[in-house]
Amino acid sequence: MTVGTPAAPTARPPRRTRRRGGRPWFDWMTLPAVLILGVVIGYPIVRTVLTSFYDYPLISPGHRYVGARNYHRLASDAVFWQALRNTAVYTAASVAGAMLAGLVLALVTERLRGPWRVLRGALLTPWAVPVIVVGFLFRFMFDQQGGVVDAVLMRTHATGTPVPWLTGGHWAMTSVIVANVWSQAPFFLLVFTAALGAIPAEVVEAARIDRAGGWTLLYRIKLPYLRDAALVGALLMIIQNFNNFPLIWTMTEGGPAYSTTTLVVYVYRLAFTSYDLGYASAVGAVWLVLLLAVAAGFIRVLRRRPV
Amino acid sequence: MATLSTRRRALPVLAGVVALGLLGTACGGGSSDGGSGGKTTITFANWADTEPATQAGLRKLIGAFEQAHPDIKVKSQPISFTDIEQRLLLQVRSGNAPDVAELAGNDTFATAETQALQPLDQLAGSAYEQSIIPAELQLGKVDGKLVAVPWTVGPVGLWYNKKVLKDAGVDPAVPPTTWDELLADAKAVHEKNPKTIALGLDSTDRTFGLDTNWPIIKSFGGQPFQGSQATASSPGFTAYLDFVRKIARSGYTPVNQKAGFFRQPAASDQVAFTVDGPYLKSVVQSTAKLTDQQFYDTWGVAPLPAASGQQHYSVATDHQLVLFKSSKHQQAAWEFMKFLSTSPEGIQYTITSEGSLPPVAQPGGDVAAALDNPVAKAFREQIIPLVTRPEWGATYAKAYSPVMAAVQSAMTGSQSTDAIASGLQSDLKPALQ
Repeated sequence: MTVGTPAAPTARPPRRTRRRGGRPWFDWMTLPAVLILGVVIGYPIVRTVLTSFYDYPLISPGHRYVGARNYHRLASDAVFWQALRNTAVYTAASVAGAMLAGLVLALVTERLRGPWRVLRGALLTPWAVPVIVVGFLFRFMFDQQGGVVDAVLMRTHATGTPVPWLTGGHWAMTSVIVANVWSQAPFFLLVFTAALGAIPAEVVEAARIDRAGGWTLLYRIKLPYLRDAALVGALLMIIQNFNNFPLIWTMTEGGPAYSTTTLVVYVYRLAFTSYDLGYASAVGAVWLVLLLAVAAGFIRVLRRRPV
Repeated sequence: MATLSTRRRALPVLAGVVALGLLGTACGGGSSDGGSGGKTTITFANWADTEPATQAGLRKLIGAFEQAHPDIKVKSQPISFTDIEQRLLLQVRSGNAPDVAELAGNDTFATAETQALQPLDQLAGSAYEQSIIPAELQLGKVDGKLVAVPWTVGPVGLWYNKKVLKDAGVDPAVPPTTWDELLADAKAVHEKNPKTIALGLDSTDRTFGLDTNWPIIKSFGGQPFQGSQATASSPGFTAYLDFVRKIARSGYTPVNQKAGFFRQPAASDQVAFTVDGPYLKSVVQSTAKLTDQQFYDTWGVAPLPAASGQQHYSVATDHQLVLFKSSKHQQAAWEFMKFLSTSPEGIQYTITSEGSLPPVAQPGGDVAAALDNPVAKAFREQIIPLVTRPEWGATYAKAYSPVMAAVQSAMTGSQSTDAIASGLQSDLKPALQ
């Protein structure tokens, strides 16, 4: 086997960290951040996936490799599937409700001028309230024993007996979603207010010259302009609601039965009250894949949007 | 240019050093030799130091111990009641366990399964063991070894408000002894005033929720699981589910509420019956500003009822003390545990700050006088002998949630109780494996 004599280097070979255009593929200044992210995010993810293949009770001293058994258990775990359904319902209803409420508020407050703009600031305050406080606030309001909601309903004769807002099968999920919508609508108010302000004035003016009425202006001009903002806001909120633990925990702790148990609540119970770390990791790994899918969608949308 | 090039080459190195420095800072922790001026320092993980009702009393008690034992210093580690088991398990796993810890219910037995608890038989000796109520001592034994000693004793009984019962036409001198009698009394109370909570019963999805319900389930002749066997599909358990469905649907009790939820309404005479420990007395008295006599005139306590022909049961909500094997000062730690459990100061704290009963078998002097009242007598003479130990341990930690979810399902859902019991039977199998 003969090997051709390589051409003598005439110049210093390019460093492997540099692309042809001279731009480094890795900026060494980011090393500290990359290392820290690797430790606080990368390692726990890898460890979680590895743990999902073990029977790993925190209480017992030992743990053993069980292959995909935890994932098989998931397939037949009715609570897991109910938690998945609950997560989908909670997330979809919360995002849709908050978006609609935020849109209505943004449109209503769009033309506020002068001191009336303070009203818009006041409408944003629920967003500044910590979620755990929102949870306790609505828990007291929806309480069957002297909560203000039942008190008002009974005083106005809308109902003869107290409604079990937090302890009735279907009411509990509704109550949690209402609290969440109240908390998150201001986010969409902010997003839509900014997007409405970005609609070119000449477009609106042209529509008015063409005698477009209020509804036509809304449907034909404003809503199409708000679509991108709505998409980005919705994706962000989907990710946030997928992980929303404190609101549900403070209001219902996932009950009654499993009617408000979402994936995050289920993982918490498995890991920190049943100490079944292996199975909790398997649920967590599936949850991570779902979140990654949403995050990938979010990134695609962001890339497609004009800068 | 040469300077610029050198700088450029130095940047990656500098970045690496900064990264390592940050990591070192993140990973490094403080160290403590545990010593304090030549004294032996022992750490005591507890929730008493986190709660306003007990904090001052505990600190005074620790001060009294340190005064009596000048060579020992106690360092309190306040951890909330809800977090203490998690924190201790993590501390055990990371080799950083305290010397002594306050635990209760399943937490004691779950922690014992880590093999991290020091058997106390030798340290305690027969003199200590004989000084403790036998049933209470038995609650701290795992596989015949004493791993926990009682500090405060809190069996669960049926409290009843004499005023509320009298107003509803129920004779307060004859508390119900069967669940059917209780339902009849609850009906009378509810008809008289629907806003009154006829029966306060913890139905939360917590280990404590199942603890409270365990003696009730047993008093119907049922038991959701035994060891690693699911036993939920049984007539006794179904009868219990029928009972909780009845009290929820009739509006006698609010669902998914903690035992503590009922204490404030109890203080304002808005509860007829409630399933709770002796500490209810101190909460009601401090809230309603009642003297002892006023309290005894208003409230009475009796053993939990049972279904016809079945046995009566209770459950302990005691606070126990455990010693970790990793403790380097086991004798000093034991002295502290014994002081909390049986010293006059410890007993005083148990009665006044915790509102519970002391574990001593033969109280004398001031303690005997403090326990000479109808409530303490009912607990010590009638209720403590009925205490049963739930199937506490690692399986209990996994099984409590399906059981309590089934209980809540019976209280709020429309599925038949037979179907709920069968579903629970299936749900429990993987949890108990």
